[in-house]
Amino acid sequence: MIASRQLCTFLLDGHLFGVDAQTVQEVIRYQEMTRVPKAPAAVSGLINLRGQIVTAIDLRTRLGMKPRENGKRPMNVVVRSDDGAVSLLVDQIGDVIAVDVENFEAPPDTLQGPSRELVQGAYKLNGRLLLLLNCAEAVQLVTE
Amino acid sequence: MSFDDAELMKEFVVESQEHLADVENQLLTLESQGDSMDVGLVNKVFRAVHSIKGAAGFMGLETLGGLAHRAEEVLNKLRTNELRPTSLVINTLLRAADQLKALLDQIETSNQMDVTPHLVALQSIMAGEEAATTTAVAIEPTSENTKFEIGISSEALREFLIESFDNLEQAERDLLALERQPGADDLLNSVFRSIHTIKGSAGFLGYLKAEKLTHAAESVLGSIRSGNFPFDESVSERMFTTIDAVRRILHSIESEGHEGADVTGELATQMEEFLQEKLSETPTKVPKRGRSTRKSASSKKAPVAAVTSSKEPTESVEARRAQPDPEVIVTPVKPTPVQANSPKIETAQAPEAAPKAPTPTRISPAPAGSASGSTESSASDSTIRVDVALLDKLMTRVGELVLARNQILQFNSTIDDSALHSAMQRLNLITTELQEGVMKTRMQPIGSVWSKFPRLVRDLATMCEKDVRIEMEGKETELDKTIIEAIKDPLTHLVRNTVDHGIERPEVRAQNGKPTEGCLILRAYHEGGQVNIEICDDGAGLNLGRIKAKAVEKGLMTLEQVARLADRDVGNLIFLPGFSTAEKVSNVSGRGVGMDVVKTNIEKIGGTVDLQSKPGLGTTIKIKIPLTLAIIPALIITSDSDRYAIPQVNLMELVRLEGEESRTSIEWIQGAPVYRLRGRLLPLVYLRNELGIPRDNSAKSEIVNIVVLRADDRQFGLVVDNINDSEEIVVKPLSKQLKNVSVYSGTTIMGDGRVALILDVMGLAQSAHVVTGTKERAVSDSNDRATTNNSNMQTLLVLGVGPSRRFALPIAQVTRLEKLAINKVERADHQEVVQYRGEILPLIRLSDTLGVEPANHPEGLMDVVVYSEDGRSVGLVVDQIVDIVETELINTRPAQRAGLTQSAVINGHVTDLLDLPAVIRMVDPSFFQSTLNV
Amino acid sequence: MRALLIDDSRAIRRIIGDIMKSLGFEITEAIHGLDGLAKLEEFGIPDIVLVDWNMPEMNGLDFIKAVRADPKYVDLPLMMVTTETEMERLAMAFVAGVNEYVMKPFDKAMLVEKLEILGIGAAS
Repeated sequence: MIASRQLCTFLLDGHLFGVDAQTVQEVIRYQEMTRVPKAPAAVSGLINLRGQIVTAIDLRTRLGMKPRENGKRPMNVVVRSDDGAVSLLVDQIGDVIAVDVENFEAPPDTLQGPSRELVQGAYKLNGRLLLLLNCAEAVQLVTE
Repeated sequence: MSFDDAELMKEFVVESQEHLADVENQLLTLESQGDSMDVGLVNKVFRAVHSIKGAAGFMGLETLGGLAHRAEEVLNKLRTNELRPTSLVINTLLRAADQLKALLDQIETSNQMDVTPHLVALQSIMAGEEAATTTAVAIEPTSENTKFEIGISSEALREFLIESFDNLEQAERDLLALERQPGADDLLNSVFRSIHTIKGSAGFLGYLKAEKLTHAAESVLGSIRSGNFPFDESVSERMFTTIDAVRRILHSIESEGHEGADVTGELATQMEEFLQEKLSETPTKVPKRGRSTRKSASSKKAPVAAVTSSKEPTESVEARRAQPDPEVIVTPVKPTPVQANSPKIETAQAPEAAPKAPTPTRISPAPAGSASGSTESSASDSTIRVDVALLDKLMTRVGELVLARNQILQFNSTIDDSALHSAMQRLNLITTELQEGVMKTRMQPIGSVWSKFPRLVRDLATMCEKDVRIEMEGKETELDKTIIEAIKDPLTHLVRNTVDHGIERPEVRAQNGKPTEGCLILRAYHEGGQVNIEICDDGAGLNLGRIKAKAVEKGLMTLEQVARLADRDVGNLIFLPGFSTAEKVSNVSGRGVGMDVVKTNIEKIGGTVDLQSKPGLGTTIKIKIPLTLAIIPALIITSDSDRYAIPQVNLMELVRLEGEESRTSIEWIQGAPVYRLRGRLLPLVYLRNELGIPRDNSAKSEIVNIVVLRADDRQFGLVVDNINDSEEIVVKPLSKQLKNVSVYSGTTIMGDGRVALILDVMGLAQSAHVVTGTKERAVSDSNDRATTNNSNMQTLLVLGVGPSRRFALPIAQVTRLEKLAINKVERADHQEVVQYRGEILPLIRLSDTLGVEPANHPEGLMDVVVYSEDGRSVGLVVDQIVDIVETELINTRPAQRAGLTQSAVINGHVTDLLDLPAVIRMVDPSFFQSTLNV
Repeated sequence: MRALLIDDSRAIRRIIGDIMKSLGFEITEAIHGLDGLAKLEEFGIPDIVLVDWNMPEMNGLDFIKAVRADPKYVDLPLMMVTTETEMERLAMAFVAGVNEYVMKPFDKAMLVEKLEILGIGAAS
């Protein structure tokens, strides 16, 4: 039996990323956020998710990418963390796909900056590279 | 079974197993779906179980059918939404599914298998109970439990564990009390009963080790009850050991499902031998158990090292008598057990020699909190055990209720209907009371955590050969249950640490002129919306030098950093990870549990820890934890069209400046904006500034909104764009990512569903430097002689005297500026005075003193500059308070007359600088000499 | 059928209660002798009473004496739940008017035996 895992995929600045589907609580469209002045740069704001207050982290910022174009609204990938739900802001949502764990590779050398620490590895997918994001690290903005 | 039947059976088994293979995943999915549960999926599971049930019925597979039937009932409730797929429900169903699989695997013998625990668990869910322990624990029969089968329900096991832990605690408390009053029958009986009860139920459940141990203990106690020998140190030691052993067994049962490999058999045997020894010791049987006597000769082979008895008894008895302390919980622990009771009782004349124990009151450290201590005998029908998870749910619901009410409130203000309004009033009232009530159910007194400490301290002290007593103040202080859970371990560690490292050995203490008995004080109280817990000791305190050295040694800080530390900050170094100054890590304080873990655990629940120490005198550790009172009244304000909430508890008042006032009332002193609020100078903080939001220069508002806030004992004014309403808000904690932003203390959801941040008033104050931290001095109205940043820049108060004369004095010399009523001026002893703030304030008219023609006497009020020193005050009457200016004094001329220092040009006017003390001395030479007399 | 269980230990009440329920009994609980008397008044006469010996407020022995002193309970079967240590005083219980005793810990089978002696059939 092939060992596979399910990944929830999304796009960030043209790059394809994925996170473990098991960590994903839900995926929703753009939500109004309350901004948080003085918060770490990657925090876009706070969302009210059915009574739960969820911190939204802009993955572009977190990964050191350039900001989204004006007017483009991000989507929310709500993931579970040990502190409760956190929303990851992405450009577009992709499908949930199954990948073969045997095809797991180390992250490409071309990856630089914050991405380097947050990408655990990659899967080749029909010629495209799917980067596996380390969710737990991504939501960790504050070093204890 | 015929061939057909066998075939049929095989087919049934295969098919059923296929059904069940999917069920597990489906159940897991349902659990993760939670509220958005897919009913279609539930139906799938339901159908699978239903068909198993149906077929099983036909084939006479009763056990299988019965279990499937129960599972089907639960699934039915799920699909009609009477039940939600909580972890509990799903877990129970998963286990039932596992069991069904197991039955299918052994289909021939399935009818003989006992699935009662599953049936019971499913039944409980149907009945609506939250049976939390559907663990495998109760199901597996232990190897010793072959005596008989009762089919123990998990409920029974849970009851047994809860009750037995309670009984052990109660027995401990009673034993501690009994140690100080060995003659108290009621205490002895109580210990007996606690042990007896545990023995009874343990026996039923087949826990033979526990039964044996408690039986041995019971026999000893029974013997004492019959008067065969008295209760003494040797007995209590063994009792405590037994209690510990039983407790270990209970923990093992709880976590592993069996009694554990602990060698308790030996212990039981020892107890029996001990009993025999005791029985053979005392030749005569005495009806009442031994009271202590002033026995000088106690020659016995008491097993415990009670050697000192020969000469001590008299002294100790006297000491006891001289030292009654009924109010405070004191557990005196002596390193060498002082035999105030001699094991040997001579005659019945003992009683009169017996010292009356200070107060024969029952000393139980912990109050009968809801979860502990309330023995069945005391009207237990008025209490009820409730699952904490259920209370959590209630809390959430109440929080949502408050939100919903807030939403409705919004409509209430737009609709003009008195019936609606009064209904809203009622709704308001009910919601508030409900919230308070639910909150109370989760509150527990901190005493329930502290209850273990007397015993702990006693044992530790003995082990470390120290003499420590523990005092507890404020044990009725209530905390939310989750907080109690979270601080249990940190507090325990801190207490152990204090006994182990903080308090010195008796010899050392004596050398330093301290009483040999060290004192550990636990204190808890509510203050400012937080719970404060203090752990104070009168021990050796911290060796600051050693700590600093250690910090550098461990590479936690550099030499320079350490050198720059203020003394009060050195203490907190021990909370850094990787730190430990103990020469050896004793097994008392535990390995691997560092102070940094303590700090982390406390911070996890939003608390803070601070350590202060005075070398040689002792240490105080202060813990502050916010009360998770989830709903607080707050003021909503707006800055840059975002809303923020300010907790009402910090709110002093609101000030609104309009038009002219808004421009002129705000003054700048030493570069900081202030507002004069009834004579006091209030530092101002602009919220936009603090949040880093640029000023809105377009809308030049005529209105300035100041929210006067209090942080600790300092006040300041927060300038905001708009002030909205007061509301009750549900406080949600800050997420991990935001925890370090000091200006926020939480988040909340507003009536319209949008998220708002709750401001942390102290954090704001500190970040704006209006609270004395390290850097800038707070601008205050105190009488400090302020030095100026720039040697030539001075802040002066400019006064007008007469029609055109200007005088000035350093603002630092001014205590207050007042407007006082002229008709209140009285004459007393050649001096004009006025009654001011409960005192008599002598007045000095500057016009008179300086030979200036006064201006026309105005009616009504006069301007008075109040100067105070050493508790004495004097008021300077002037004609006008002109301004406060910050100016560089250039072009000054020396003064022309007494009372003045120099003249300068300020704002275009010639202004004389006053020499205030000189002026005062001119009028009242004795002002600076006499002591407080006003 | 109904049974009244009197014991100050909640765990024991639960354990014995479970056994009784499995025999088809409906259970009423009391926490000591006085409470037991109250429950008798409140719920009427059960088919059997199981009472522990050692309880606060009013112990088992006194409960038995009190019940027997009341004519309306003359036929009420009383069964003492005892432990080894109380065996030597069992005679007192019989004198006071208890019908039977069962030693704990016991199991279903043992209980059934005792119930049969009393002529109480268990509905199973």
